[in-house]
Amino acid sequence: MRPRHPIPVPEPPVEELTPAPPDPAESAREAGLARLFEQHYASMLRLAVLLGADDPENVVAEAYYQIYRKWRRLRDTEAAEAYLRSTVCNLTRMRIRHLQVARKHVENPPEETVVSAESAALLRDDQRVLIDALQQLPARQREALVLRHWLGLKEGEIAAAMGISSGSVKTHTARGLAALTQAMEARR
Amino acid sequence: MNHTDPDRTERELTEALAALAQGVRAAPDAYRTARGEWLRRERRRRLVLAVLIAVVFALATLIGLWVLNQAPSEPGVIFSGLGTGPGLPGHGPGA
Repeated sequence: MRPRHPIPVPEPPVEELTPAPPDPAESAREAGLARLFEQHYASMLRLAVLLGADDPENVVAEAYYQIYRKWRRLRDTEAAEAYLRSTVCNLTRMRIRHLQVARKHVENPPEETVVSAESAALLRDDQRVLIDALQQLPARQREALVLRHWLGLKEGEIAAAMGISSGSVKTHTARGLAALTQAMEARR
Repeated sequence: MNHTDPDRTERELTEALAALAQGVRAAPDAYRTARGEWLRRERRRRLVLAVLIAVVFALATLIGLWVLNQAPSEPGVIFSGLGTGPGLPGHGPGA
């Protein structure tokens, strides 16, 4: 009997236990959000701080969650940025209003330290006075001034972000600026 | 009042906002944290939605079964089962 030479048979490829392929729309959303996060997270965080949010990280995270849910209805990245900006403004205003209401029901309300001491430490005295005066302004005036003087937005863009008319933006900006000028004059 | 005061305030405000913004730094793992939170909330939202749908479906089924159970069990007028009514063949006016 002839000795049998075993012919090497290639082993069948072992299928790895990989999870099911993700939904392409879901992958696109994840990638788009990651890109949006990388591009705008820092500026949105700064916007929330300048608007006086006491927990800017949470405000911005909430804004990104809302855009995550409404991703399919977004037109483009430009629209996403404007939507984020508007959402951060609204959420910050709501948060401040909530804190103001909560403070009314507390016997010994804590001092209003909206700008963190760490950030404020970098400011000169006159700048700190100006920022304090800014934080004392009504929310709409503060928003209009920050969007105009920090982000450098045009009136139409500010109006879109705040959900008001251009005329109202002019009014809020002028009143806010007058109040700040008065505060600075009183200090000088 | 000096007419340049608002201009000066505007300039100072721009500088102060820039200085304050410069001191704000994003946490390095902000994306990972935020993404985990989105996914967790989305999962919870879907779970709550599924539970709500299940509850509504179960309630509708139970109400339907109860209504059917309330139907009278005695033989009714319409379905007498005798087959001698006037609408049956052989009982009409032309018969």
